[in-house]
Amino acid sequence: MRVTDVRDVPFGEWASTVLSLREEGYAYFDWLTAVDETDRDGDDAGFDVVCHLLDTREPGSLRSVLLRTRAPEGLPVPSLTGIFRGAAWHERETHEMFGIEFDGFDDGSGLGLRPLLLPEGFEGTPLRKSFVLAARASKAWPGAKEPGEGHDSARAPGRRRVQAPGVPGPEWGPR
Amino acid sequence: MSEQPLQQPRPVSLPMPTVGPASMGVLGGHAPKPIKVVLNWGRRYSLWVFNFGLACCAIEFIAASMGRHDFIRLGVIPFAPGPRQADLMVVSGTVTDKMAPAIRRLYDQMPEPKYVISFGACSNSGGPYWDSYSVTKGVDQIVPVDVYVPGCPPRPEALLHGIIRLQEQIASERLSAQKLKGRYAGTRVGSAGDVRRPLLRRGTTPTEDGT
Repeated sequence: MRVTDVRDVPFGEWASTVLSLREEGYAYFDWLTAVDETDRDGDDAGFDVVCHLLDTREPGSLRSVLLRTRAPEGLPVPSLTGIFRGAAWHERETHEMFGIEFDGFDDGSGLGLRPLLLPEGFEGTPLRKSFVLAARASKAWPGAKEPGEGHDSARAPGRRRVQAPGVPGPEWGPR
Repeated sequence: MSEQPLQQPRPVSLPMPTVGPASMGVLGGHAPKPIKVVLNWGRRYSLWVFNFGLACCAIEFIAASMGRHDFIRLGVIPFAPGPRQADLMVVSGTVTDKMAPAIRRLYDQMPEPKYVISFGACSNSGGPYWDSYSVTKGVDQIVPVDVYVPGCPPRPEALLHGIIRLQEQIASERLSAQKLKGRYAGTRVGSAGDVRRPLLRRGTTPTEDGT
């Protein structure tokens, strides 16, 4: 489906905007997640909290709005569970993947924000860009990672090496 | 009407059922060679398979079991009701750290001798998800694997080839209990036999003076 409207709201108006959108008719909560933008320059750094709402009243013309806000790192985000009960799973997942706290989270169980998908005993917030994916450091990949790296390849890699977020740096040892 | 004294059941000494690394019965260690060939021949052509389908590779596995490729003609029977009736487990798909304990548990429930085919790049080594925080780097970190089928996903023909390879391995297998113990007992931490319930109580043998 097509997102028909994208709105950026200030951090302070997050929950009130969602509430007013629900009153407007965007009463179907689709999903909520976050995007790690902590490597932005300046004061703008933080997490994009994203929420997708749908208006399903009109048959044949589905309206949707993608709501975004930039949450500064470390500040708790107002929870949407008071507006949409279904946001609880999404906020729990966002909490365990990004380490974002949700203020006023209540899913009726009284257990608060707890891991939803990660295995028991998992440490860290894996969808943050600062989370190091240590697999390459602990066990060498049994093949070529980049073009031209194969053992019988004569050509030098013609591509610029990309250092993706999460790939362990040289201080993790030889790989 | 005189009351019949209740017949006290005499305790019977029953042997405790033991479940352990396979001994293949009495035949296993001592059978003459022709019998071993017959036993291996019987086992290699009646592999009841338990499909541990986890991702897109499972679709290729299903395609291999259907009419066109039809691995039933190789003696692989895809209708095992569960792991306890299966001889072969095909792990097809991405094994995650969260799913890994379940795979280990179901593998432990399979009766020995048992075989594992790792089907596809993900279950071989983690595949394209090598860097992932949640994907196990190969199912051989959890269970011993007999045949690896490479590909992403492998074609059904590749699975047929892997099955034939496994059947060659079974045909050349020596059925000594010692070897099987060495193969299975070294890697396992627990078995289905470890959690058995004492269904049969070991009876006390009555002594002469009735104590």
